[in-house]
Amino acid sequence: MHDFTVVVGVKQVPDADEVGLDPDTGRLDRASAPAVMNPPDRCALEAALSLKDAHAARVIAVTMGPPMATPVLREAVAMGCDDGVLITDRAFAGSDTWPTSLTLARVAEHLDADVVLCGEETTDSSTGQVPPGIAAHNGWAQLTYVEALDLRPEEGRVVAHRDVEGGYEVVAADLPVVVAVAFGSFEPRPAGLHRKLFAETEFDPRELSAADLGIEEEVGLAVSPTSVGGMETVQPVDRQGEVVDEVDDLLGPIREAVA
Amino acid sequence: MTETPNYDGKFDAIVVGAGLAGSAAALSMAKRGLSPLVIERGTSPGTKNVFGGVLYTPTIRELVDLDDAPLERYVAEKRFSMLSEADETALSLRPGEWHDEPHNDSFTVLRGEFDEWFAERAVDAGATLLTETTVTGLLRENGRIVGVGTDRPDGRIRAPYVVLAEGGNSLVTERADLKERESRDHVAVAVKEVLEFPAREGVIEDRFRLTDDAGAAYNYFGEGAVGEAFGGGFLYTNDDTVSVGVAYRLSDAAASGQRPEETLNRFKSHPAVAPLVRDARTVEYSAKTIPEGGIESVPDLVHDGAVLVGDTAGLVLNNGVHLEGTNMAVESGVHAGAAIATAARQGRTDAAALSGYPSALSRSFVVENLERYAWLQEAAVADRELLFAELPRAVADAGAEYFRMDRDSKERHADRARERLLDAVGGYTGAAKLAARYRKVIA
Repeated sequence: MHDFTVVVGVKQVPDADEVGLDPDTGRLDRASAPAVMNPPDRCALEAALSLKDAHAARVIAVTMGPPMATPVLREAVAMGCDDGVLITDRAFAGSDTWPTSLTLARVAEHLDADVVLCGEETTDSSTGQVPPGIAAHNGWAQLTYVEALDLRPEEGRVVAHRDVEGGYEVVAADLPVVVAVAFGSFEPRPAGLHRKLFAETEFDPRELSAADLGIEEEVGLAVSPTSVGGMETVQPVDRQGEVVDEVDDLLGPIREAVA
Repeated sequence: MTETPNYDGKFDAIVVGAGLAGSAAALSMAKRGLSPLVIERGTSPGTKNVFGGVLYTPTIRELVDLDDAPLERYVAEKRFSMLSEADETALSLRPGEWHDEPHNDSFTVLRGEFDEWFAERAVDAGATLLTETTVTGLLRENGRIVGVGTDRPDGRIRAPYVVLAEGGNSLVTERADLKERESRDHVAVAVKEVLEFPAREGVIEDRFRLTDDAGAAYNYFGEGAVGEAFGGGFLYTNDDTVSVGVAYRLSDAAASGQRPEETLNRFKSHPAVAPLVRDARTVEYSAKTIPEGGIESVPDLVHDGAVLVGDTAGLVLNNGVHLEGTNMAVESGVHAGAAIATAARQGRTDAAALSGYPSALSRSFVVENLERYAWLQEAAVADRELLFAELPRAVADAGAEYFRMDRDSKERHADRARERLLDAVGGYTGAAKLAARYRKVIA
């Protein structure tokens, strides 16, 4: 049996490689980009699965979104998660980071989590507010930008390396704890062939609604404190270009430019 | 961890590659009640698949409803053009009936969209698709092929049949000694760009004289198309893009050091081609190898537990006038799938039990056409200088003479034109021999 429950938050985002600038209007074209798992979340999954390699832990991936977001849970289960939970409800529509982190905090309690792992931020909004938000809502410890993680069950705490300017610091925190994993620090493992087949053909996520968590009145656009002050599109500057055949021909223009 | 089921023996067949041949085989099997697993290395079917641009659909039409298919345009014009360095002589065909359904079963498509759609039809019919997984080898037991190995952890899976549909660059099939590596003389290297025209709407319709969904397929040969190599160029219109490319023998590329992207750029700047692609922006660049060994190069199609289909089986026809591969890929996939279903009912995997596939294929247009043009490649390579260099120039010169506007008589113009042509082909005897040698291309 498992002694620990690790919950990993994952999110579906537009594929940043495919989000292009429309060359004619200069606007972001995110509609045509396929939906993928937020890349930093893959590092969080790897961190969770490495805890499971060393301890008797149960790893559950959770995501908030419409049923359309199910593929990220399948991907998490393919990598090795034991289960996936889809938190889905119309009531969540328009939630900013406050109600989102409240929801995930309630889910972590609901699943009896000892460790909550998240990516450091999402590539589609980049606030990095949700992991600390989960910790704050539950009154748990938080460790951000974590590069290495050592779970010490006998001590009831984790010891982590946190990325800080110029090096890292070693910090210990009591369980339960929320950990935001530094992007790039845990190389995600490939899914096994049979596990991937299981995840894509037979696995179905559990679903939780706002009512299941008792937070119908505490989520959604109306209770989200964020308001967007305005947007400004900056026109790209025309750049001059010139092709020269000889290296020497380059020297003159450079001299002129620096003169 | 929640228990991971083991999928060995859970699928009736494993299809390597979700291209046209692979998905056709999967559809064919699924429609006969089998459950195939299709393994594709790309993130989605079609992302790794390259072809010139025209899909021929007589067989696909019988498998799926093409009304919802992501087709770009139907081919309303076929144009064959001889290019020398400076000249173009072309023949254009626009039969009225091509405007009517089913449009001679010829459509331009973009594989990234079409192959994904086609694979989805196989999944709808009962196939399972697994992407981002590369098959690296075959599993053998007592000489029999019993499954595949992949690049994933815990990556082996067993099934009674394996369909090898991995395309022209068939590394798994060659590694398993089911096929010899093709000689460079029989492989073409093809490069292609997809171009868009950002300046304004309607550029494609105007330049290619098109309305609505009508499209054009231009094929080019001669030195102006691919330089000193055996091959040709092409230009196909999609909905709002144009596919332009060249294909020529790998051995020529190696011998002359003629780089594919340089060859393509030269083709695009030929005076007869440049105005068609003016002010274009390249949105996609791709390359592939094409097996052009003809019927002689088609390997054994069935083995104990495995079949070869599509480009992997070398099923491509290029006789200069007809450039076909997709229709043959689909046809082979359908027959292979049917033969596997028959063998599965008998509980057998041996080559004899699968022989329905090669025999159906040899009764079909696929083998009939390949056999018909078996002689052509060799003859055309031998006559390369004449066909690709001298003839395009001579025909252009003869045309210039025939229509020359001066104060000489028409009779003298015609004489000079005839002389120029006969000079190029070696007199009346040479012309007769040439005509006899190549009459079967169109006759």
